[in-house]
Amino acid sequence: MKVTLVSRSGREVVKGGIELEDSATVKDLQETIHARTKKYYPSRQRLTLPAKPGGSAKPVVLNPKSKLLDYCEKDKSDNLTVVFKDLGPQVSYRTLFFFEYLGPLVIYPLFYYVPLYKYFGYADTDRTIHPVQTYAMYYWCLHYSKRILETFFVHRFSHATSPLSNVFRNCLYYWTFGAYVAYYVNHPLYTPVGETQWKIGFAFGLLCQVANFYCHIILSSLRSPSGNGGYQIPKGFLFNIVTCANYTTEIYQWLGFNIATQTVAGYVFLVVATSIMTNWAVGKHRRLRKLFDGKEGRPKYPRRWVILPPFF
Amino acid sequence: MASFLSTVKRIYLAIYNWAIFTGWLQVLVFAIKALNESGTAAVYDAVEKPLQLAQTAAILELISVGLVRSPVSATLPQIGSRLFVTWGILYSFPETRTHVLVSSLVISWSLTEIIRYSFFGMKEALGFTPSWLLWLRYSTFLLLYPTGITSEVGLIYIALPYIKASEKYCVRMPNKWNSSFDYYFASLAVLGIYVPGSPHMYTYMLGQRKKALSKLKAA
Repeated sequence: MKVTLVSRSGREVVKGGIELEDSATVKDLQETIHARTKKYYPSRQRLTLPAKPGGSAKPVVLNPKSKLLDYCEKDKSDNLTVVFKDLGPQVSYRTLFFFEYLGPLVIYPLFYYVPLYKYFGYADTDRTIHPVQTYAMYYWCLHYSKRILETFFVHRFSHATSPLSNVFRNCLYYWTFGAYVAYYVNHPLYTPVGETQWKIGFAFGLLCQVANFYCHIILSSLRSPSGNGGYQIPKGFLFNIVTCANYTTEIYQWLGFNIATQTVAGYVFLVVATSIMTNWAVGKHRRLRKLFDGKEGRPKYPRRWVILPPFF
Repeated sequence: MASFLSTVKRIYLAIYNWAIFTGWLQVLVFAIKALNESGTAAVYDAVEKPLQLAQTAAILELISVGLVRSPVSATLPQIGSRLFVTWGILYSFPETRTHVLVSSLVISWSLTEIIRYSFFGMKEALGFTPSWLLWLRYSTFLLLYPTGITSEVGLIYIALPYIKASEKYCVRMPNKWNSSFDYYFASLAVLGIYVPGSPHMYTYMLGQRKKALSKLKAA
């Protein structure tokens, strides 16, 4: 069969089209495109069916595992037009997450161990390190080490890659906030809260981190190793009452950290992180409710908190 | 119902734009009067009240952003810098008020705003704008943006030593919330924003000019 590959403006991307076996899959098409244009490796290609005229429906994205024939119209099984979009240089999610999390993991202890504050105008003479500052540093490093371990051993990603520009944007976010919080918690003029308060804060935070880890394990088991990649209704543990229990536990974990360390910087970070995760949670909740609408034999998505019981 | 709401919106916008226009006209008149009678050092005292009123009322503009189709990325930096200079520099540090840049600032701002608000005021009240006003709106910025921005940057710069010495608006450690704020560094950061911000604003207006004047030719 012949595949005509066009860009969104209608221009032919591969002159003369591509000849493939009738039994070819989308993956074969991707590899052929890559063979013809070295620049466009498969994860950079976004292949969709041409949008229906007048329709505002989202274009159908081709699934690499499907056969090309599945996308052909009924009686036109020897010809298929596919729209191509270049997603730009891609980076694997694992790489992206690793560098995002490496920054805070390295930067925070720098403020703890290295006498940096003299460059900010604070003579480093008789600096007493409060116990809470030491525990805060352990807590923070534990958190980001956990994140890196989960990236390599727990998470299963629906998309293999992310655009390269996200590396700069995400690293800017994590690294800047890491430095911002680290600067204040490790400051020579830091004022600790009472012992009970920081003990409760860290204990609560640790509990939430453990819960968060368990949430991640549950989420990874939702995706089968064969990489079906489809959505499933999350079940078990806190997911029975909250759609995005993983975000919930993450937010409360930072709350624990802030109760213990009490800095404006830490709370600002908490608020920003919460708003970002809430945004994601709303999208995910909506998607799941739309997908699991109870019709055509699909289960109906149960009533649940979106992200932060008892508020939302 | 929908047309009633849109009429209300038009009336609100018409009143708003002409009111602010009057404020800025007052600023310009008082400024020129002071320059004629006393010289540059007297300009600030003459215009202080209408300037603060007209400039701060522009916050209402941010609400209008929802009603009028100016993008936030163009309105926010402009209002931000104006409010910072009006309140954060001139009001807070009287040592800056007698500088000659205050005159160029006030004249640049008031000329720009008089044209801008009468332009929008006419559009809302009469439904159209005369082509000479359109031309003014999209051409005077070519000179007034550079003079205005230079005045703003200049005034912030000369205020710096006073800012550093006064400790005003600064929060120092130690404190219960383990936070700090240094107004001097914040002001330096604002100066830094002018570096990418000014070309952004200027090229935005150049683009708007091209669009507006080509529509004029076609009409």
